[in-house]
Amino acid sequence: MDGLRELTYLEAVREAMSQEMRENEDVFILGEDIGVYGGAFGVTRGMIEEFGPERIRNTPISEAAISGTAVGAALTGMRPILELQFSDFITIAMDNMVNQAAKIRYMYGGKGKVPMVLRTPAGSGTGAAAQHSQSLEAWMAHVPGLKVVQPSTAYDAKGLLKAAIDDDNPVIFYEHKLCYKTKSDVPEEQYSIPLGKANIKREGRDVTIVATAIMVHKALEAAEELEKSGISVEIIDPRTLVPLDTETIIGSVKKTSRLVVVHEAVKRGGFGGEIASIIAESEAFDYLDAPIKRLGGKAVPIPYNPDLEKAAVPGVDDIVLAVKEVLNRS
Amino acid sequence: MAKEIFMPKLSSTMEVGTLLQWFKNEGDSVEVGDPLFEIMTDKINIEVESYEEGILLKKYFAEEDEIPINHVIGYIGEAGEHIPEAPPGESVAAVQDILSDSRQPAMHDLEEIEISETTTINETGDTGNENSQSEKIRATPAARRVAKEHNIVLSEVPGTGPKGRIHQKDVGDFLQSAPKATPLAKKVAGAERIDLHTINGSGPQGKIYRADVEKMRQPSTASETGGRRMKMEGIRKVVAERMLQSKTTAPHVTLTTEVDMSEAIHLRKQLLGTIEKQTGFRLSYTEIVLKAVAACLKRHRNLNVSLEGNEIIFHEEINLGIAVAVENGLLVPVVKEADQKGLSDLTAECKRLGTAARNSNLKPQEMSGGTFTISNLGMYAIDAFTPVINQPESAILGVGRINEKPVGRNGAIELRPMMVLSLSFDHRVIDGAPAAAFLTNLKEVLEQPFKLLV
Amino acid sequence: MNQLLNLPSGVEGKDLPALLKQMWLIRYFEEKVDEFFAKGMIHGTTHLAVGQEASAVGAIAVLEDRDKITSTHRGHGHCIAKGAEVNRMMAELFGRTTGYCKGKGGSMHIADVERGNLGANGIVGGGFSIAAGAALTSQLKKEGYVVLCFFGDGASNEGSFHEAVNLASIWKLPVVFICENNQYGMSGPAKEMMNVEDVAKRAEAYGIPGKIVDGNDVLDVMNGVGEAVERARNGEGPSIVEAKTYRWKGHSKSDAKKYRTREEEQEWRAKDPIARLRSILIEEGLLTEESADQMKNEAKKEIEDSVEFAKNSPMPTRDDLMEDIYA
Repeated sequence: MDGLRELTYLEAVREAMSQEMRENEDVFILGEDIGVYGGAFGVTRGMIEEFGPERIRNTPISEAAISGTAVGAALTGMRPILELQFSDFITIAMDNMVNQAAKIRYMYGGKGKVPMVLRTPAGSGTGAAAQHSQSLEAWMAHVPGLKVVQPSTAYDAKGLLKAAIDDDNPVIFYEHKLCYKTKSDVPEEQYSIPLGKANIKREGRDVTIVATAIMVHKALEAAEELEKSGISVEIIDPRTLVPLDTETIIGSVKKTSRLVVVHEAVKRGGFGGEIASIIAESEAFDYLDAPIKRLGGKAVPIPYNPDLEKAAVPGVDDIVLAVKEVLNRS
Repeated sequence: MAKEIFMPKLSSTMEVGTLLQWFKNEGDSVEVGDPLFEIMTDKINIEVESYEEGILLKKYFAEEDEIPINHVIGYIGEAGEHIPEAPPGESVAAVQDILSDSRQPAMHDLEEIEISETTTINETGDTGNENSQSEKIRATPAARRVAKEHNIVLSEVPGTGPKGRIHQKDVGDFLQSAPKATPLAKKVAGAERIDLHTINGSGPQGKIYRADVEKMRQPSTASETGGRRMKMEGIRKVVAERMLQSKTTAPHVTLTTEVDMSEAIHLRKQLLGTIEKQTGFRLSYTEIVLKAVAACLKRHRNLNVSLEGNEIIFHEEINLGIAVAVENGLLVPVVKEADQKGLSDLTAECKRLGTAARNSNLKPQEMSGGTFTISNLGMYAIDAFTPVINQPESAILGVGRINEKPVGRNGAIELRPMMVLSLSFDHRVIDGAPAAAFLTNLKEVLEQPFKLLV
Repeated sequence: MNQLLNLPSGVEGKDLPALLKQMWLIRYFEEKVDEFFAKGMIHGTTHLAVGQEASAVGAIAVLEDRDKITSTHRGHGHCIAKGAEVNRMMAELFGRTTGYCKGKGGSMHIADVERGNLGANGIVGGGFSIAAGAALTSQLKKEGYVVLCFFGDGASNEGSFHEAVNLASIWKLPVVFICENNQYGMSGPAKEMMNVEDVAKRAEAYGIPGKIVDGNDVLDVMNGVGEAVERARNGEGPSIVEAKTYRWKGHSKSDAKKYRTREEEQEWRAKDPIARLRSILIEEGLLTEESADQMKNEAKKEIEDSVEFAKNSPMPTRDDLMEDIYA
């Protein structure tokens, strides 16, 4: 393929934004320390040099204001990208996302639109502890009017971010911190991956794993391990929680008859419950040959100690065990 | 607040009860323990006593109505209390009460019934297998779907998953082991609900053709042309299931011997008046055989046994069941500790039980606990037969008629009143020699009844 | 005679009668809505701006058509002043498809994005940063429009006020924050909820102008807001204008108003902004008694007609429920 090279996930996010900003004057970024500092994780590094401080807009530490400002700008014709340093801070921006961005179009009877992207790094694994490590995507997925994206690879990140920016609705774009350094082949040219299209990361026969974000990588590792015992695992990455590609998931479960759902977010009230319920309500139910298994974070704030931090979220071993359990081979 | 009267669940398989009669009218006052109404279940008729005291406020159902278990039948409370106009359906209180076991005496009665029935009148006999009752089958949705597609009864499929859960593969394996049949034969069998396992295929390696299935269908086709159809239910169904279970699990062996009943007849004549005076009942041969069997079992303990799981239970008590023909089936009331009772007591008890059985008011405890059964067909022109063991017992004695027959005696042919005894036993538990020894002993005792005194 | 009037630049005496008409429209609209709610004819809740007509009409009078506003939960007046059709507003309250939001928004969410009304807001303080964002668009795209952000005394105690005003001030966004200080945040008297008397004084903390105007005097409001709008349009950044006024009615439909006195209400009723403008216009010869009464009756008639329009409009169908969630 032309212009294919390896890029990190972080570079892919940056490239998607830069390319779009070159194409579309209406796109700009606002966020804290995204200017010369380059953003908390360095995603916007170098961009202020190219696009200037007007469009790479350093903001005060005011998540409530910048989220609302993004809403107002979007409502009046811009396509803002809002970077929140940590997805945990979405709690401060929540009112604007939940009560304003998500509802304006509907409340106004279909007039007005809010084409904005809220990008934000999520997840544990960096030792940042309880207030900087959460995975709160289920909250956002619950709110009608928002779209929720969770890319797991560099390739997906670039294509999904392009689609998110092009979308006329508010999109919450979760970037997993541990994914930032992962690499994959990414085309140089712009491309779009439609929101609502799941990706089969690995084909298999015996069991379907639906995994999101970093858990896609862990599931792939687990699948390698399980292969040695002759267990063939299919891994589906929904990529977007809203809209959700139910068709691909249902199709896969009909094929394998077994489902394990894995996410890092706390299992209780997590999106895995939604996926499990969708299968239970779907035609795939009659094909289930084992109870659905959900793996998610323990119901605990993410601890600081590295060992405890690991223990709080599902690991490769947990996935291997869960798969064996649904196959009665544990 | 008014208290619910509900249809009690009297056995693990009971789903509905038929209301036979009310003993109280609306407005009557009721004491705890008063019989309220009588119901018929799939096994027994029973009087249900009140758990509450107060005024019978409402009767929602009439005689002959079928009422699901735990559904509210009526209310007891104080006069003038408000109660629903229409039957409110399932009783929450009933479920809770049973779970919490709060009402001691009455609930204990229920539990005893529950326990005794699962051990003695259990229709399938395999209480350990959760899949024996269709509502309790553990199977995955996929297994259910495949089973349905192939007309497979899930209860027949062994589950390999946790706690016997049936998986799709189990159904697949079961299908593989299923009889070979042509697609047309399967279709016809499916439509007619004929189990392919029950058909002998006429093709190579027993392959079943359509014609084989059609053959099975004949009887029902014939009856379609005019015969009466009756649903297998109640006692009939239980008898059917238990007979099948016994015949298919216990390898039956039947020994027969002829007994010269001259002395026994003599004995009966001598005691007839005395016993009738004492009890008001006439001594019959059943009681004499019963007495003799009890005495012999005492000496042949290895026939007074049951098989439970992997264990043989040698019963201390000698409790003798008496098969009684009733309308639409067979009941086996039990004479407890028969070896401890004299002929007078036995006569009174046998008569009472027989009447109760025919009138469908045997108490559950009167049908439980048997260790050996006697089936007497002596009132018919039957000499010998092969009785079916009343599981979980391991042996049954068939008693034929007394008939004068020419018998060789001291070099001459004489006419003697002869009676054939047929002893069926479960060869898993009892061997031929001990069974023969028992039957020989029994013959001796009946031919020389004074040995009963020893 | 007009020289007696102190008018902001670009406004002439002959423009003033139309403002009186708008104030009458607002007054009659609100009274009609109050009546319907009292009769249970429309459901939900509503917040009425009777007594506050001058701040809405005066502030918006100095705007150009391209300028935008963000409104509050007490927003009917802003809406009418920004040129909304009362028919479609009334239809919205009746939940009809001809309403501004096809019956999906109701009283608290009336918006007319095409005419620069970015919408009322059910969240107290919800408009600050949206107004800032709209002003950012104007700045980035050099569109030259100014955003007028209405808020109440209560909203100035929300954290969003601080964040958005600070942000607007550092970026010099073309936005004017106009506080309609009607003395009460629901039942909370402003003087008990803030340790300063004037919201305008808070402007100092952001290094922007803060001006107090008589909120019951259309002309004073026009002058104060006009100055701030001009400043914003010139790229000099935001201001806060505080219009002191009074909410005649309760907070919403079920309010016994136990937190204030009859006397206080009477005092403010004497400062009726409509009566004041009317007498000025007659005094200045811009209206006669007759023409003023005629104008009042016209306004009344328009509101009566809007009720007929709303009543005769179709209800949405269940099929409409899931429409308009996503663009």
